[in-house]
Amino acid sequence: MLLHLGRLLQDNSFIVTINSLPVTAAALEIIHYFSMFLVVGPTVMVDLRVLGAADRHHPAAELAERFFPWVWWALALNALSGFVMFAGDATAYIPDSTFHAKLLVILLAVAFTLAVQWNVPKWDRLPAMPAAAKTVALLSLLLWIGAILAGVEVPALSGIG
Amino acid sequence: MERVGEVISFGNWLQNTSWALALATSDWAYPFVQATHFTGLSLWVGTSVAVDLSLLGIGNKRQPPSRLSDALLMWNWIGFALAITGGFLLFSVSAATYLINAAFLTKLALLIPLALALHIVIQQKVRAWGQMPHIPTVAKLAGWAELLLWLSVATAAVSIPYVG
Repeated sequence: MLLHLGRLLQDNSFIVTINSLPVTAAALEIIHYFSMFLVVGPTVMVDLRVLGAADRHHPAAELAERFFPWVWWALALNALSGFVMFAGDATAYIPDSTFHAKLLVILLAVAFTLAVQWNVPKWDRLPAMPAAAKTVALLSLLLWIGAILAGVEVPALSGIG
Repeated sequence: MERVGEVISFGNWLQNTSWALALATSDWAYPFVQATHFTGLSLWVGTSVAVDLSLLGIGNKRQPPSRLSDALLMWNWIGFALAITGGFLLFSVSAATYLINAAFLTKLALLIPLALALHIVIQQKVRAWGQMPHIPTVAKLAGWAELLLWLSVATAAVSIPYVG
């Protein structure tokens, strides 16, 4: 069923064209990398602030308030470019376990990032960052690095992309 | 021509060093180095572009760009250090091939030095710009230019396999 959908996607003329023209294929990669930098860099900075390793003189919510709108816009762009690249070779990606691991790690990273975003104003009002806050931030940080690693492991282990 | 020969023999020497060979032949090391390069780039590009965007007036306007630049400074350069360490190791695996690739040479010899120089200028000037009643046009132009230069660096990097 899923593979059938994958085949339909992969044979779609728009998807075929965009993935096979060198200019659009390269543009997809550039968008995917650059938006990834804008997701991971700012998110990791907020995590490092919660962990007490960056910008300790200002409230954590200050960085969070500035960064998270950009992070979610960049993530949307990253997901969109990623989806179009996935669609170009959908039947190879769908059964691939490294690709499944990559998606799982990204979902977890997003969940922990949302947990940081929602709780930062509350944590800021406490006299010190609670251990739970630091744990959530550390997991968010490690999961994003894990997402990058999983991303490069897909072509390295499975040879797709 | 002799100079080209020297550059290529340097590339051959580099890619035959024990660490470059170890990296090239290991099943797991190469992706870890790639991930280090990209994690460093995320910190470097993410924090640099954040300052550029704030110079452009995008995002929270109550916080001056200099405050953001100061807050991010240390991790900005830690990101850069990670990116060049990872990048150098990746380069060393097939140095001779990279050294004759037009996209790689454009990236390394033209775009990165330009972007880096502008980045340092912005970091030096951001406090003075922030003290003015309005962010001056030159600061906005610098912000745009740095953003576009790093995007060009990414474009050149992605073009390496298409060119070579």
